[in-house]
Amino acid sequence: MALPSCLKAFTRRISNSSPKPHLTCPSPTEIRRYTQHLSRPLQIYRSASTDPYLNLSIEHHLLQRSHPDSTILFLYANRPSVVIGRNQNPWLEVNLGALRQGLPPTQDERGEETARKNTPIALVRRRSGGGTVFHDAGNTNYSVICPPPAFDRDKHAEMVVRALGRLGVAGVRVNERHDIVMDVDTNKTFKVSGSAYKLTRARSLHHGTCLLRSENLGRVSGLLRSPAEAFIKARGVESVRSPIRNVGVDGEAFVDAVVGEFRNMYGDGAGREVVVGEEEALASEEVVKGLRELTSPDWIFGQTPQFTFSTHPTEDDPRERPEIAHALPYDFHAQFTVRHGEIQSAAIAGLEYHDFVDAASQDEILSNALVKQRVHYIKDWSTTLTRASPVPVDVDDAGEFLNHMFGIRPPADKGGAVAELMTGMISDTVVGEFLNGNIDL
Amino acid sequence: MFWSHSSRAVRQQWRVYRGLGRRAAGPSLPLPLSPSMARAFHAARPLLAVKPVLLADIGEGIVECEIIQWFVEPGARVEEFSPLCEVQSDKASVEITSRFAGVVQKLHYDAGEMAKVGKPFVDIDIQGDAKEEDLGALVAPETPPQQQESKSKTTTQAPVRPPAEETAAAQVAILTEHETQSAPPKVKGKHASLATPAVRHLSKELNVDISEIDGTGRDGRVLKEDIHKFVGGRDAPATQAPSAAPSATGALTPSEALAAGPQQETPVALTRTQEMMFKAMTRSLTIPHFLYADEVDFTSLVELRGRLNRVLSKAGLSDGQVSKLSYLPFIIKAVSMSLYKYPVLNARVDVDSASAANNNNNNNTNKPTLVLRSQHNIGVAMDTPSGLLVPVIKNVGSLNILGIAAELARLQALAVAGRLAPQDMAGGTITVSNIGNIGGTYLSPVVVEREVAILGIGRMRTVPAFSTVPGEEDRVVRRQVTNFSWCADHRVVDGATLARAAEVVRSIVEEPDVMVMHLR
Repeated sequence: MALPSCLKAFTRRISNSSPKPHLTCPSPTEIRRYTQHLSRPLQIYRSASTDPYLNLSIEHHLLQRSHPDSTILFLYANRPSVVIGRNQNPWLEVNLGALRQGLPPTQDERGEETARKNTPIALVRRRSGGGTVFHDAGNTNYSVICPPPAFDRDKHAEMVVRALGRLGVAGVRVNERHDIVMDVDTNKTFKVSGSAYKLTRARSLHHGTCLLRSENLGRVSGLLRSPAEAFIKARGVESVRSPIRNVGVDGEAFVDAVVGEFRNMYGDGAGREVVVGEEEALASEEVVKGLRELTSPDWIFGQTPQFTFSTHPTEDDPRERPEIAHALPYDFHAQFTVRHGEIQSAAIAGLEYHDFVDAASQDEILSNALVKQRVHYIKDWSTTLTRASPVPVDVDDAGEFLNHMFGIRPPADKGGAVAELMTGMISDTVVGEFLNGNIDL
Repeated sequence: MFWSHSSRAVRQQWRVYRGLGRRAAGPSLPLPLSPSMARAFHAARPLLAVKPVLLADIGEGIVECEIIQWFVEPGARVEEFSPLCEVQSDKASVEITSRFAGVVQKLHYDAGEMAKVGKPFVDIDIQGDAKEEDLGALVAPETPPQQQESKSKTTTQAPVRPPAEETAAAQVAILTEHETQSAPPKVKGKHASLATPAVRHLSKELNVDISEIDGTGRDGRVLKEDIHKFVGGRDAPATQAPSAAPSATGALTPSEALAAGPQQETPVALTRTQEMMFKAMTRSLTIPHFLYADEVDFTSLVELRGRLNRVLSKAGLSDGQVSKLSYLPFIIKAVSMSLYKYPVLNARVDVDSASAANNNNNNNTNKPTLVLRSQHNIGVAMDTPSGLLVPVIKNVGSLNILGIAAELARLQALAVAGRLAPQDMAGGTITVSNIGNIGGTYLSPVVVEREVAILGIGRMRTVPAFSTVPGEEDRVVRRQVTNFSWCADHRVVDGATLARAAEVVRSIVEEPDVMVMHLR
């Protein structure tokens, strides 16, 4: 049966989107709804998509709609993304400026135009807890959903360790934080996989990464170190940094090994693996609903728990601050409290006013005008501060500093507010075009 | 999950429950269930009234977890298994669902706060039946031995449950019939210590510990009014001075005034400062004033000041030196420089010196004389909490800009604290009044007695003007301008003299580099 033309366009798009997924595309006969399998006691799925938002939405759909007694294994790989935990703070955990730059073009694609541009890096907030991780084509994610009585934080991590052992990888074990680590030499331990969990009344989900053959290990620490780290005090979970390393096996081999161990644990009742394609996932209303949530700036940035940003030590945050005086107006102090991305209170001092005024009360007026602004929609702090002040004020240095802290690059380059950056990047993808209604399924 | 309880666990629960029922309910409540019903799972009892629901253990020794978001609010109806909230502990985000049907009454935590395991996190008005196993191991906090017993019961229950991590569904919501809910201690608002720089500056000046004050601002923030009220209460017998707010003492507040009926008159005595002002201004009435006003271009001064402040910020501070210059020292110096050229403005009029001796002559000629003065003692009008005060900077002619600034700061600090010495106030020869700090463009200041001139400075504004660069005269540029309003005693000063003096001041302020030429 010939592929209908819209699906032809789709499979062409899938294979052109970089990086080339190592998970297979569905053949025509398999394009039935994967949802028909949701009642089986054992289910094994792989995703053909490399879109992180879509993969997490499929995973969430499986969590919510699968039979309560079933056990599911789901494997997927994402295009380059930084994934923060449910309750984390992107301004604290991620270097938004570096994320905006993307990854430098890869060398191996010969002569293709796509290789000359930088590869964009997605910013994703997942629904499970834990810390921030970096995904790319060299990293495969495994996810196990099971009933709560059967749940154990280490159980499936051990399963993956066995799978790696099968592939000849030595020295891997599960550590006390439920991560998979590899012992190299006598006393060097590297993290190769991190875990996170989501527990609901009826189901338990454990998912984890696994670094196989990522080419970007050297860039990860730069991406995950924010310039605002020394100035932000946040609630929520902080990431625990560990040195990372590739396991060094091929993606397909890993997937097969994990599936094999899963069958060993649970018996062969799972039947064949089901490959979930992009278009069949997008055909599900629930998946699309979850997808809209995950791609919205209100979720990515607006779910940030309360944090304070302050240029100088305060009572709540007495840490030493890095020296900023050389870049800023003399005596510049800034302190904000931000909740769900919205400024709750601000105290700015030390700006130079071009007017014969009482600086302190002007500072107060300016600070009050900043309240209720959403940080992720600020395009340029210089403009925002200028608008907030009723009298002319010198804000270029302060604005530049705050832009750097919050990952904003003013419209001189392409850029703008971080929320718009995200929306723009997502719109450029297949999933984004679908959500905007530009593609028909 | 409920079905997986062994009958031994149920019996244990039953025993505890029965014990508690006997102890707490007393003779009025008959034992509702016979032991033979211990095995029945739906030993339901209708439960009325609002029950605080404790946050049960979510496993792994976690004692507190953060509430990420609430799915309900007070007044929301919940059924069994409705999601209540999502919490996060370490790497797990956990959805917590309700064990009961009913209406949510109260949430004990906000999203973002840490919820303690084992303490109430939500109050539900239970309107359905509660299953017996939901009553669980009851905790009666009144009798410690009972607590011990029930605690041991919970630990023996743990091995009965599968050793897997307990999820939200496996939680046992423990009801407490008698647990006294301790009201959360009155916490100072989160932002109580977050006061704006202006408020903190004021608190330092008035010598007030900001943490002692209860803020009335948003989230408990301390505002300027709070500080003044606090100081007013502290210094109540000392002064009747009004607070920085411009309301006169004893005046009705606007809302009260609206509500008042007929015109009410409330006599209020003048403060000492007001009395002095009254006397001084009455004397000044004898002086015929004329006003000369002009617009001065401050653009160059703004740039110079910016450059100098940057230099000051990098240099180390020597004792008594200010760290930042305002515009006033430059203006004061410019006035002093013009006084060298037009010393009549630094003089005073003496009307009655010879008259006492001549009085017996019945001459009645009060021959006026002009007394020139060598030192430029420039008074600076200041608005303080106790009213208008005019301390004097002595001998401006011998001070440089930094010296003027330092002296100005010293006098300002003393004035606000109310500790100006008499010699700080005496001996002025000319006055400068910077009302632009507060507002206004043109003003007609009143010449102080024993002086002949006064300069009033308005607010700096940004205005468009035409460029003075030759060849570009049509180009519109930004300029910062301020209005200088001079008033002088027309008995001894004529318009032309004042205008020329004002022009000197203007030329210096508009081109401050001129001062370099006069450096010694």
